[in-house]
Amino acid sequence: MSDAAITSNVPRADVGSVPAPRAPFSLGKTILFILRALLIAFLIAFALFPVLWGISASFNPSGSMASQTLIPQGIDSTEKLFRNYTRLFNDPQIPFWRWVGNSLFVAGFSAISVVTISSLSAYAFSRFRFKYRRNLLLGIFLVQVFPNVLAIVSIYLMLLQIGKYIPALGLDTYGGLIMIYIGGGMAVNIWLMKGFFDTVPRDIDESAMVDGATPSQTYWLLIFPLVRPVLAVVGLLAFTGTLNDFLLARVLLTDRQNWTLMVGLYSFVEGKFSDDWGVFAAGALLTAIPAVILYLFLQRYIVSGLTAGAVKG
Amino acid sequence: MGDSGGSPTPSLNLAAAVQVVLVLLVDAFGGWLAFNIFQDGNLFFALAIVATLVLITAIVLIPSLWPLKWISPALALMILLSIYPLLYTVYIAFTNYSDGHRYTKTEAIELLGERRYLPEGGSSYASTLYQNADGAFALWLINDAGESFFATGDGAWTAVTGEAPADYNGFAPLEGGAVFRALSAVDGVTFGDEANGVQVQSRNEASGFAQQWVYDAATDAITDRATGTVYVSDPVLGEFIAANGNPAPFGYWVSVGFSNFSRIIESTLSQGPLVRVVLWTIGFAVFGTLSGFALGLLTALLLNGSHPSLRVLRTLLIIPYAVPGLVSVLVWRGMLNSNIGIIPEVLTSIFGASPPFSSDPGWAKIAILLVNVWFAAPYFMLIASGALQSVSSSVYEAAEVDGASAWTSFWQITLPLVLVALGPLLIASVIFNFNNFFLMEAMFGGGPPIAGTSAPPVGHTDNLISYTYRLAFSAGGTKDYGLASALGVVIFIIVGLLTLVQFRLTRSWEQVSESV
Repeated sequence: MSDAAITSNVPRADVGSVPAPRAPFSLGKTILFILRALLIAFLIAFALFPVLWGISASFNPSGSMASQTLIPQGIDSTEKLFRNYTRLFNDPQIPFWRWVGNSLFVAGFSAISVVTISSLSAYAFSRFRFKYRRNLLLGIFLVQVFPNVLAIVSIYLMLLQIGKYIPALGLDTYGGLIMIYIGGGMAVNIWLMKGFFDTVPRDIDESAMVDGATPSQTYWLLIFPLVRPVLAVVGLLAFTGTLNDFLLARVLLTDRQNWTLMVGLYSFVEGKFSDDWGVFAAGALLTAIPAVILYLFLQRYIVSGLTAGAVKG
Repeated sequence: MGDSGGSPTPSLNLAAAVQVVLVLLVDAFGGWLAFNIFQDGNLFFALAIVATLVLITAIVLIPSLWPLKWISPALALMILLSIYPLLYTVYIAFTNYSDGHRYTKTEAIELLGERRYLPEGGSSYASTLYQNADGAFALWLINDAGESFFATGDGAWTAVTGEAPADYNGFAPLEGGAVFRALSAVDGVTFGDEANGVQVQSRNEASGFAQQWVYDAATDAITDRATGTVYVSDPVLGEFIAANGNPAPFGYWVSVGFSNFSRIIESTLSQGPLVRVVLWTIGFAVFGTLSGFALGLLTALLLNGSHPSLRVLRTLLIIPYAVPGLVSVLVWRGMLNSNIGIIPEVLTSIFGASPPFSSDPGWAKIAILLVNVWFAAPYFMLIASGALQSVSSSVYEAAEVDGASAWTSFWQITLPLVLVALGPLLIASVIFNFNNFFLMEAMFGGGPPIAGTSAPPVGHTDNLISYTYRLAFSAGGTKDYGLASALGVVIFIIVGLLTLVQFRLTRSWEQVSESV
């Protein structure tokens, strides 16, 4: 949801400022408390059941998700316990690590390029005053309203054309996919980062300029080191966003060896009667664990980015 | 020069020289690409490239535009990879770009011209079949003029002299029965290079290929030399059509005006599948957002507080949002699978029957809304609890003093405040759900199919973007890029309108305008 146009000024979700008042005992309050606890228990079960089931299925040697106990039955050896993982890693038909590598390469390259290129623009929009600056900024705002996946058909045809003359940027190449990710990430990130640059005091630039520094020197030697942590977080968000993309990767990459992790995981269960659920669950778990850890690590930034960021003056 | 000061002095410095050289290199390369693409008949892409090149060159060469240098890489990428594809989608929507019309006229003539056939009475050769120790075949050929050639199966064509030798580069001539046994192996195999392909006709004869399809610009017709049939170009249909009405193997794409849009309107008016797709798209976008918001707000209210255990529970409830969306959808797909899924199995063991989630249109939609609420609710819980924290407790105390019940203060205080704070995010979420491809595709592949639709079948849970995908990319079906793009244009219009509503509601356009 983070790539939709987000334009509010909700404060951060800082936890815990209202002290819970201690109420005297009453029957009504107790019933309410029990109801509340039951509802919470139900919500927790609803939220975590699929997660637990995924974990369980990944260790289920029968490869099906139908066993009715959460602890898989019939495991009497480590071979059976890790059967799905063994297949995931060793089956020559399943280039799992290659998919992981593809995903990391494509997402990493895209994220670094997006952040580098769009931070330059964001800095210019934040600091320099020039003709058509306002119109350009508003134009960029409009571009991010229409994410380029909506133009998936013409993107496909465009890569078909380019590939005729620059094979490395054609269909079914990392180059082509990365190029589309970079182009699509520009507008959103320029807006996001301009907001951050606006919060950096201008005195820093001005004193440097007085001392005779050029704009490039000011940016690279003073501002860039200052905003590097913010850029890293924006980059990580762009990275996970790209990692999770499904539509572009599925349409633009055709060769099994070239797939990203998401396209590969989908292939296990794509068919109507596919029963590679065990291998899928193993792969899904290995994908989800780093994603969840990264998310919990970045949660503070994600919340403030979701709710503020985009338009903050 | 800006008020931030410090325009670089226009002296001859190395950085400036490097920039000029770089931009000229980019111009040369881009110009070459644009020229080739123009020659293929794709005027608009060529124009987009040229326009970008002109812009970049102007920015680098005109000193007063120096601040734009910082923006130029992003600008170029945006023009070519975001703005051009959007405009090109609009253009394709007005063409018949589809299977059978995949190329420009120039490309179609070129591709048909690459086809070869074995003409009767074409260039023929006396041939001797050779084989080497690896089992690869080759031919020693003598044409009518007495010239000799040696042709291998991997594309080599060498002019040679003299009689056929007993050994040539490791190849030895086959004799007797071995020749006949080899004939079936070399049947249909092309020897020699692109210009001189030959195929074996009998044990001692081979024939050269000739171009099968020849275009004549004067009559604007293409001739199949294998049959002698003349196919005249029809610029309205984008086909080459013979006198008996048969078209050539493929045609080219042409502008067809509003016909894709009238197909969409007709399908809508005749209660065709598109109506269902549009209704489901809007219904899902709205109900998916509202249900996620409702459950998220409820969760946030239940867990509002600073007790450490509540914090732990909040973190646990966020996990579904942190798991990559596609992965969770696929886990749900497995759990709901009617053959092996846990949920149908448990429901059957309790109630004796289970709803057919993947084959009944209604249950499929319910399943999708359920899965959606599963990962949408944590997102709304996250931001709603932020909004709740910001509501001052004194407001509630005042309400309590005035005798308001908890119920009243929820409807009168909490909900309005949360809605004000989350309003724009709700609309952003509607727009996101409007374009939610991965849920529709990964859950049931758009299925179950709507009766009476085929190639590609339209499903009851297809939304506009997954329907677009199915029209353009589904295996097996006819790929209709023109119609898919027309649907894309419809999506642009609806997303644009929704965004406009968002701006009106939140006045965020004013905010944007002020903040820049």
